[in-house]
Amino acid sequence: MSQASRASVMSSATDIRSIKRVSIVDRNLNKTRGLEVGIGAFAFLFSEMLQYAQKRVHGIQDLERKLNDFGYRVGTRLLELTVWREKNNKRETRVLGILYFIHTTVWKTLFGKQADSLEKSTEHEDEYMISDNDPLISKYISVPKELSQLNCNAFLAGIVEAILDGAQFPSRVTAHSLPQDGFPLRTTILIQLDKEILQREEQLK
Amino acid sequence: MIYSLYIISKAGGLMYQKDFNEGLAHLTANEYLVFAGTFHGVHAITSKISPVRNSTSSGLEVLEADSFKLYCFQTLTGTKFLIIADPTHANIDLVLRRTYDVYSDYVMKNPFYTPEMPIRSELFDVNIVKLIKQVGG
Amino acid sequence: MGSNNAGTASATTSMNGQPDGGDLGGSPPHSAAANNHLASHHSTTSQLTSATSMFSDSRLVNIEEESKLVYGVVRTLRNLVNKLSGNQDGFISYRTSNYKLHYYETQTGLKFVINTDPSTESLRPVLRQIYTNFFVEYVVKNPLAPVGHPGGEGVNNEYFKAAVDKFVKNLSFFDS
Repeated sequence: MSQASRASVMSSATDIRSIKRVSIVDRNLNKTRGLEVGIGAFAFLFSEMLQYAQKRVHGIQDLERKLNDFGYRVGTRLLELTVWREKNNKRETRVLGILYFIHTTVWKTLFGKQADSLEKSTEHEDEYMISDNDPLISKYISVPKELSQLNCNAFLAGIVEAILDGAQFPSRVTAHSLPQDGFPLRTTILIQLDKEILQREEQLK
Repeated sequence: MIYSLYIISKAGGLMYQKDFNEGLAHLTANEYLVFAGTFHGVHAITSKISPVRNSTSSGLEVLEADSFKLYCFQTLTGTKFLIIADPTHANIDLVLRRTYDVYSDYVMKNPFYTPEMPIRSELFDVNIVKLIKQVGG
Repeated sequence: MGSNNAGTASATTSMNGQPDGGDLGGSPPHSAAANNHLASHHSTTSQLTSATSMFSDSRLVNIEEESKLVYGVVRTLRNLVNKLSGNQDGFISYRTSNYKLHYYETQTGLKFVINTDPSTESLRPVLRQIYTNFFVEYVVKNPLAPVGHPGGEGVNNEYFKAAVDKFVKNLSFFDS
């Protein structure tokens, strides 16, 4: 899902005419234009991942955990890459800073657009929400009735969780469908920060 | 006006059937299956009984009746898309191809779909209805 | 399913004015030849040659086979259409990438079929003319033709053949 691995999906489909393309390890990490993966290619790959996972789990929660794990492996790499690509690569130390970084930079790297909202929970001090009105990952996915609890963006939640973890903001991240008028597929990524982070925030103030 | 859409698998099974407008007789679920199977067989034969020698013909593409026209588009993989429409409705070929687009997006890319099986996909339904509305179905 | 129909319903059925009956045997080679005389007049030049050659023995087997298939397809489609539209006599024509088959059914259940190139307009009126002007005149009114034309007997007569041949060749779109 990171630009680099997106590109690798493309190069697997390389035919003889374009064989002179540089391999993924030789490619300039800063160059991203024109190297996006087609959404079709991604959709098929993700579809296979989901079917693979489905055969190896019991129940919906188990499946979401597995998708979360898949995402986590992407997220750790993605954090490394995006931070490296940012020209003023400063380290985010505040909660709002890292969340904003996810909301804009990470989302743009992954989906070519910003997330649609970043909100703080009014009920819980430690909860934040990033919402996407039309999540790309589940664009083509119709979840059958018997699995209606499942949100395939658990994969995305895993990516976010890994980024937060990697930036020293350990949290619990989950994905929830919260349809709104005009946005039936709207998905919210719920972030529950660890207690120690809140304490740290207090000290940094 | 578009009356209905059928999708028939390469084995002749009915994968999808939806009526958009009143106008044709209602069939029972079983009769729809029989319809699909029958059409599948006839389609195969129509390509064989071409009177033009030494050339291959496609199967039935358009069937004209007094109260409707039936259009059939067969993909390279053997899936058939059928649209039954008012005889005056133009550009059904385009609608068929766009139906195929919607099918490849919301059916084939859906991890919960088993190929050749009946289509039960919410997003496919939604997008088909949207498409038919767009073309004045 | 179509081929099953074709297999059980002999070509004579369509000649007999009994829409769905399948019990009239008839000798296959004759019925096939006669049926094709009526059923498959082709209107392009190459097709017409094949129509002429329909009466030579060398192609009899193919023709028999083909006429059964045509009959099966036509009958199945007619039933499908009638089921969907809820009225009789709904099936007009179908076309594929390289031919178009026109269909006309009389009140008595006789089925007339003509094949053309795909771009030809509806030939239902033409088939109707063949029925009223030639079939009725030269076959029905022929005292020597047996009732019901078992095995196509009586249809395959020189007057009828010549008249239809001339009529079809003179159609404005015959070789356009």
